[in-house]
This record gives sequence, C-alpha cells and structure tokens, in this order.
Amino acid sequence: MRILVVEDDPLIGDGLKMGLGQLGFVVDWFRQGREGLAALSAAPFDAVVLDLGLPGMDGMDILAAWRQAGQDVPVLVLTARDTLDERLQGLDAGADDYLVKPFALSEVAARLRALIRRRHGQSVSRLVHGAVSFDPVARTAWLDDKALELTARELALLELLLSSKGRVLSRELIEEKLYGWGQELESNAVEVYVHHLRKKLGAGFIRTQRGIGYALGELQ
Amino acid sequence: MIKRQRTLQRRLAVLLLITVPLIWLVSTAVAAYVAHHEVDELYDTQLTLFARQLLSVNMGEHGDDPLPVLPKTKKLIRGGDRGDAEDDDIGVAVWNEAGDLLLSDGKGRHFSFEAGRRGFYTVSGHGDKDEWRLFYLPAPDGSRLVAVGQRQKLRHEVVLKVIQGQLLPWLLGLPVLLLLILWAVRKGLRPLQQVAADLGRRSALDSSPLAEDVPGEVLPMVRALNALFARIADTVEHERRFTADAAHELRTPLAALQVQAEVMALMPDETGRQHALRQLQQGIGRATRLVEQLLALSRLDPLQGLPAAQPVDWATVCGDAMADVAAVAATNNMQLQLQLQWQDNPAQVLPLSGDATLLTLMLRNLLDNAVRYCPPGACIELQAAATGIVVRDNGPGIAPEWLDRVHERFFRPPGQDVAGSGLGLSIVERIASLHGLSLTLANRDSGGLQVRLCKAD
Repeated sequence: MRILVVEDDPLIGDGLKMGLGQLGFVVDWFRQGREGLAALSAAPFDAVVLDLGLPGMDGMDILAAWRQAGQDVPVLVLTARDTLDERLQGLDAGADDYLVKPFALSEVAARLRALIRRRHGQSVSRLVHGAVSFDPVARTAWLDDKALELTARELALLELLLSSKGRVLSRELIEEKLYGWGQELESNAVEVYVHHLRKKLGAGFIRTQRGIGYALGELQ
Repeated sequence: MIKRQRTLQRRLAVLLLITVPLIWLVSTAVAAYVAHHEVDELYDTQLTLFARQLLSVNMGEHGDDPLPVLPKTKKLIRGGDRGDAEDDDIGVAVWNEAGDLLLSDGKGRHFSFEAGRRGFYTVSGHGDKDEWRLFYLPAPDGSRLVAVGQRQKLRHEVVLKVIQGQLLPWLLGLPVLLLLILWAVRKGLRPLQQVAADLGRRSALDSSPLAEDVPGEVLPMVRALNALFARIADTVEHERRFTADAAHELRTPLAALQVQAEVMALMPDETGRQHALRQLQQGIGRATRLVEQLLALSRLDPLQGLPAAQPVDWATVCGDAMADVAAVAATNNMQLQLQLQWQDNPAQVLPLSGDATLLTLMLRNLLDNAVRYCPPGACIELQAAATGIVVRDNGPGIAPEWLDRVHERFFRPPGQDVAGSGLGLSIVERIASLHGLSLTLANRDSGGLQVRLCKAD
C-alpha cells in the first residue's frame, strides 16, 4: 500500500518513511506543504499521513484543497495540538483520523490499515481468497494454514491483489503501488513477482488479462 | 486577617478601659483638691468672721460671770424649720484672761483654754473622736479669748458630696460609653471583615478586583490588593502560556524519539539500525537542547533584577563564549572562522555591572545561532567596542518577513533543516533587558546577519 507522508520534521519524517516501509507500506515523504499538495494526484496513494504545522502551506489548507478537488483518499492528521477545538477543526476540514504527538509508529500503521480497510469496505483485517489468506498486521500469508515464505514485494503484491477483488490491475498501477518515487525498478519487475507468486500459490491464483493487466483467479 | 482584626478591636477596648477610668481618677483628684481648698477658704473665712463678731460683742455688763448656756436650737425655734443645721458640728467659747469660760455654745464648752493660742488649729478630742478645726482670736487688750470651732467632718462631707456629684454620672455613663465605643469600633471594622470574607471566598485563579466602595481608611489596602491581583494574574497567565508552549514544543522531539526507537527495533539489517541509532542520537540531542533552553528561560523569567551584579570583565565573558562555541564548531567540522575583535581597550568596552555567567550565556547563544545557520567556511566575528557588542556573520541571514518575529518564543522561520528550540533569541533578549541592553537584528548589505547589543535608552 502506498502512503504519502507530508511532514516537515526531518527525524519524524525519516522515521515514518523507514518504519512504515518495514511494516509493508510503500512510503513517499515530502517536507514542503506545496510539494505534498501536488504529490497526491501524481500517484495512486492509498492513504496520507499529514502533519499540520508545515512550511510553505499549512496542513489544514492542503487538506481543504484536496477535498475541494474531490480527493477522497483517507487522511491521517498528525498534530502537536491536542485541544478539542483543534481536533474537531481537523476532522471538520476532512481528516479521517488524527494522532496527537508523540505517537507510536505501530499506531500510525494500525490506523492507516484501518482507514484503507474502511475505504475498501472491509471489516476484518485478514484478507482471504480460496485457500490463501493474508494478515496485513503480521505481514504473513498462509496457503491451507501453512505459513508461506514471501519477500516484502511479493507480500505487497499479494495484499494489493487481495484488497482489489474483482478488479483488473494494470501493470503501471501495480508498479506505482509497489514502488515509491526514487526507488529503482526493473522493467519486468511486475512479471517477475507475478511469476513468483504463481509458483508459490498455484498457477491459477493470478489471472492475466491480456493487454489490460492482472486480477485474482476464479475460485474452483 | 481575622486574628489581626480581633487584636485591633481588643487593643482599642483595653486602651479605652484603662484610659477612661484613669482620666476620671485624675479629674476626681483634681476636683477633690480644688473643692477642699475652696471649702477650707470659705469655712475658715466664716470662722474668722464669726470670732471677730463674738469678740466685738460687749459683754461688760456681765463682768466675768459666765453667760447662761442657750438651749438647743430646736427648742428655741419650737418646731420651726431648722434646715440642715447641726448644733453639734460647731461650737464657740469665750474666756476671760484667767481662763474662765464666759460663753459657750454647741461643743464650745469642750474647747480647751490655752493662753497665747491664736489662729487656726486642727485638734482632736472634744467630746468625740472627730477632728475639729479651731480658730482662736484674742482681744487686742488680752481680756478675752474667743475660740470658734467646726467639726472637720463637716468639710470632708462637703468635699465628698462634690466628688459624689461628679462621680455618679461617670459611673453611670462609663459602661454606656465603653459599649458605644466597642460598637463603633466593631462597626468601623466591618468593611475590613467584608473584605476578608470576599478574600476568603475567592478562588486562587480569580483575578477580578475587589469592590472599591469601602471607607477611606480601607481603600488604600483594597487598591493595593487589586493591583497585586492584577500582577499575579499577569504572572499566572505568563506561566500558563509558557508551560503550554513548552509542553507543545516537547511533543515533536518526543514523537521523533518514539518513532526512531521503533524504527530501530524494526530494522532487519545492521545498516538500517545504525541509521536509526544516529537519528535517535540526533533526536536526543535536540530534545536535550530544548529542555536546557526551556530551563534557562524559566530561570530567567522570574528575575526582577540581577542579584549579584558586578562590574563586567568583557575579556573573560567574550573569551569564554568564544571558546564554548569554537569547541562545538570544531567537532562538527564546519571549518568556520571565529574571530574576536577588540575595537577598544577591553577595560573600556560597554561598561556595565552585571552577571558574567548570564552575559556569557547570552553571547554563546548568539554565536551558537551563527554557527548553526552558517554554511561551512563562513566567517563569524564577535566585535567588542565601547558603544556595544556586535556578532556578525556572512551566512544566509534571516528572510526580511521573519526578522520581526524571530525573537518570539518558539518561533522559527518555516522550512528549517537545522534543529533548534526557537528559544535562543528569547534568552538573549531576556538577559539583555536584565542588563539594560537592547538587541537589534539586521541583515547585512553584503549578506549575513548582524546582531547588535547596546545600552537601551
């Protein structure tokens, strides 16, 4: 899942990028308000972590601009201000959730997953398709109750496919969901990961829609 | 407050209870003395006149035979009004030169004849134990001696009556007077009780003024209290804002520490853990500095003046500040040029008395700012002159729109890569104002920032 982080503090921003990366998210981090504002429409982000005190443009203004433009991406607001007034103001401006500093990285991850799940209309956190199940918190996948050995990218692709049931995902979209800006990407990377997953989960698990992209295979 | 009020009331009551009877006692003594004197004068004059009249009566036809003693007055007037006269209180006696009693009346027969007596005598023992006042008057030719006497008690009674007359209204009036005084005191102190009650009901954070509709004696106190409340409210508000700001400013460094600590635990490889560790150390350094600056400012804030002001030795102060910053600049490998320039003899530089430790802290903060925000290789100068102290660098300066705001607490121009508390200039300004110095920031035409400290007007 690809997350946009807009945070001016170098230590918090770096920590979110590294930490969320380890927790299975693909993170793009911007320190300036205006850059963050523009970034959202440039890639298919699943959620946004937005700090309110930003140079250049205030977090609240960015949020208002996004909502005005019809962006409905879930936004988790980070704030150092904890008065009720300020929290309400944030929620009214279109934030989906907020965290008051200092916060735990694991809580940011949990809330992001909950926001994304809610957006996809899922109420349980474990994703299941046939004999394959995936736990986004533990970052573990099972085939017939047997834990699978998958790399981070393979898990990310599996999560993406399981959370997009019934949809065909283009190769470009998969690339954008799996790689942040600035990350190196082989031209046939998606094909390689699809190949690996098919080997481990069965050839019919991923269906190729020629000329369009990939989707979950039909259940037998 | 209540205890003090009671004492005031009791003091007044005790004072009045002692003074009023004392005044009464003295005035009674004076009255008794005066009355005694007047009564003596009056009665002595009467006795003298009486004796003279007796002596002038011609008693020749009787020769030296004693005259018959008159019966008691009440017998003579036979039931007529005898007033308050008391026969037994006076007496007269007339003797011839041989001492034969020629005439006597009242207690006169008990008077003793003694040749050569003349004038007033106070004697006792004329048929009773009372003292008598006697006046002996001899005839010019010595043929007669007249003695007129009066019971001394009669005079005492008159004096006593006079005193009694004066005593009675006092005795009746004194309790009433004291009660009235106590009532007046109590009533007079009621506004104080009211103020005390108002103060007692007041919450610790209430800074509204007390009502000023109090008597003139209490008004200065109420006004002083109101002024105090205003000052306390100011201080409390200041402290509250400072605490809130401080708590707020600590959230971001703490969040950074929390996140980086978690990242360190999550990282699977040594490189990632090392990176997180470095970030964590940087975050701890930042949080430590913020706390240090907060503490410095919280210690400076309540100071009304400098407790131990001494003539400032700028050579030491500038040298120490310079050395502290040079050590930091060297460890960061900034290759900065730090220069200390004496434009006047160090003894003549900005003469003032103050606290050397605080002034060193002030200069160190200014130099530290320059070191932090200047690029590697920059030149930072500390110039000391008789007219003021200047810190000058050739770094990026401060964007003009933020120049007026950088001294505000916790304010930092947006988009900073350099860690900072936003308190450095607040500390500098506070120390400067404690020493009567003013702080001026300006961008230099040639680039860089110039901070000037000189005596405030």
